[in-house]
Amino acid sequence: MGFGRFVLTKAVSYFLVLMATVSILYLATYRVIQKVITSSAAALGEEYKQNLLRSTHLSGLTPTQVQVLVTDFEKSYLAQFAFSQPLPVKFSVQIFRLLTLNFGQSYVLKWNGSQSVNVIIAGYLPNTILLFTTATLILIALGTIIGLLAARSAGSGWDRVVPIIAVVHSSLPAWWLGFLLIAGLGYDLNLLPTQGLTSVPAPTGALAYALNVGEHMVLPVLSILIVGLGGFAYVVRSLVISTMGEDFVLTARARGLPESRILFRHILRTASPAITTQAILAITGSFGGALVTEIVFNWPGIGLLTYMAIFSNDLPVIIGITFVLTIILLVGLFIGELVYGLLDPRIRVGNE
Amino acid sequence: MWKELLKSRSALLGIAILAVLAILTVYSFVALPSNFSLTWQNGEAWELYPVDAPPQWVSLFGVNTAATVTTNLTGWTSQTYSVGGSNFSVYSASTTIKWSSKAFPQEVAFVPTYSGAPSTITLTWTKPQGGSITVSLAEPASGEAYEAQSPDFVSGASQYILNQTGEYQTQLSKGQVISTFFGQPGPGILSSSPAQGTYSLSVQVLSSGAVTMSGSPFVIVGTSYGLMGTDSQGRPIDLGLLAGLPNALEVGFLVSIISVVVGIVFGGLSGYFGARKDSLMQWVALVILAMPALPFLVVISFTTRLSILVEVLLIAALSWPFYAIIARTVALSVKSQTFVEADKAMGVPSYRVFASHFMPRLVPVTVAYTVLGIPGGILLAETLSFIGVGPVNLVTWGGILDAAFVSQAAVFGFWWWVVFPGLMIIISALPFVMLGFALERIIAPRVSAK
Repeated sequence: MGFGRFVLTKAVSYFLVLMATVSILYLATYRVIQKVITSSAAALGEEYKQNLLRSTHLSGLTPTQVQVLVTDFEKSYLAQFAFSQPLPVKFSVQIFRLLTLNFGQSYVLKWNGSQSVNVIIAGYLPNTILLFTTATLILIALGTIIGLLAARSAGSGWDRVVPIIAVVHSSLPAWWLGFLLIAGLGYDLNLLPTQGLTSVPAPTGALAYALNVGEHMVLPVLSILIVGLGGFAYVVRSLVISTMGEDFVLTARARGLPESRILFRHILRTASPAITTQAILAITGSFGGALVTEIVFNWPGIGLLTYMAIFSNDLPVIIGITFVLTIILLVGLFIGELVYGLLDPRIRVGNE
Repeated sequence: MWKELLKSRSALLGIAILAVLAILTVYSFVALPSNFSLTWQNGEAWELYPVDAPPQWVSLFGVNTAATVTTNLTGWTSQTYSVGGSNFSVYSASTTIKWSSKAFPQEVAFVPTYSGAPSTITLTWTKPQGGSITVSLAEPASGEAYEAQSPDFVSGASQYILNQTGEYQTQLSKGQVISTFFGQPGPGILSSSPAQGTYSLSVQVLSSGAVTMSGSPFVIVGTSYGLMGTDSQGRPIDLGLLAGLPNALEVGFLVSIISVVVGIVFGGLSGYFGARKDSLMQWVALVILAMPALPFLVVISFTTRLSILVEVLLIAALSWPFYAIIARTVALSVKSQTFVEADKAMGVPSYRVFASHFMPRLVPVTVAYTVLGIPGGILLAETLSFIGVGPVNLVTWGGILDAAFVSQAAVFGFWWWVVFPGLMIIISALPFVMLGFALERIIAPRVSAK
């Protein structure tokens, strides 16, 4: 009962967060959205008009009749967005469309010939998820191990390294590091590919393809790791050190348990909920930086798409990205909470 | 607290770097004109600068480059002569130029700047080994750059070649004119290497009326430039970095102080209230935390022309929940202390409990996190400029890096264009991280209140 109830309350809470976040985003971007709707209506109306004019000899329509039809067409398009309805109706209709990922057509950008914002985002998103998930998993695994080891040798030379790590973590832009890696490892030494998802042309065969993608991922993952790893390891170290002072650790030592068992079974287990919270914060914090890193490496993900959309003034795509990322971020935070619940025995068993 | 801070070596180093940054900020206000950001975007202003040039000091490492030297001709003296009843004046100034580069420059130019109507300006370029080239500009235009390919320079160079080789050449290329100016005298002047040593330049202005000369630059455009090189438009990177310093610090500081104060007050109250109010406030913080900062700011930048202040407020509005989480933890730990419960039981008003027990522990946290938060603010602002949605008409390090990215500086090996702006971001963050960590270490025992 305990964990199921925890999941349910969290799910409800996160759904409410989603509604609130999307509403705030909608209000903040209200003007842009209305602009996009009217300009799309005009563009589609114009296209419709040209089609009608081309076939006037078949239908026998007069220009006035065509104009009436076009106006009706534009009106019905705007009606889909409750454009001239009272504000509460307009808000709820448009927010509902956003929540159901109805972002319409892009101005310029395409994916496989399609201009649907959904198709475009769906085309770029998997690459971002691939890159970011890989980097994050490596970061959490390595960070936890390094943090634990560092905590064990607290008070030694490591303490002098801490400020350096802190500087790297909070002042080094991952995308700038990407630049340096490209110039150094990519071009000067010609060790690794620096641009894109695969070589051009992409190798055939599933294994060769996967290896090629993996090779292209090394530098972007590396730049995200270098920036994030030290900071995360430092947090793990502090949390583990503060847990080390607890009485149960002393008891475990007194019982003569091996040090590695105490570290992994006792200390890590106790500190893991707090580490999870920190991991969640670190992930949300590094997401923006990772998006920009994509640009430098020409990695065809959401970050690169955003950059292209900025350059081509493609507002529908940018709006789509903002809302999709909000939803993804919330799903990520929700999963983080569930992991937290699984790790924290008080929640898992239920403490009524 | 301050005494302890001064004992920490990293804090002292942080303060020292901060002082240097402060001096540089003041210097940038003094040295750069207030409309510098417009000048930066105006391509014409950078015409007499080498393009994609590495820093001058690379020649110390054996890279064969020519220095860029700008000499302003000042200290004009005048003499008036009377010939056959009409008066005319001669204004003259001279300067010396030390040339030690082993490579030829790519351009030489003289920009006469005056008010009045001089009839001719004569440049006399004397080489270290003796022998001189004379260039006469007839009725020159003030403020115009006379370059190596201008007819006056070409004919001066032709005359010199005639003296050295006995051959008369009329169709001289730009490179040949420059070889004539800098090459070893002798018959092989056009195929020689640059002559090192002290060149001297004297300028004589002949006029029948009064002329006021102002600092007229003689520019030798080399293949390297200054401390940090130039970009693809010839803009010196060091000037750009100097211009970007005040706005980086301003954004970082304002973002940090606003978001930390809002976050700490919010989180502190949340932890202090507890129960229903706490979960509601936590929920509000989560709502804000879930907004993806980067795309959100991108959308906003399409509706509003971002100024620094708007950018600051937007970033702060999205980043305060991080501090709210921290402050709430502090407040919760204070709340569980027995003296708080004792005060409550004795009927001490809640605002006084908050002021006497919570504030003293929250204020140091606020100070530490404000200092620690500045690099984050700088970083996000430069990142926004890098993707092209920063405040308009502002020279930013992110903007310089964006230009480097668009021009593929990393691919072409223009490392100075990439390395220095990034280093500047790190250096501007450095003192705050060092100070912040020292502060955190000092206040940590006080906050845990054991």
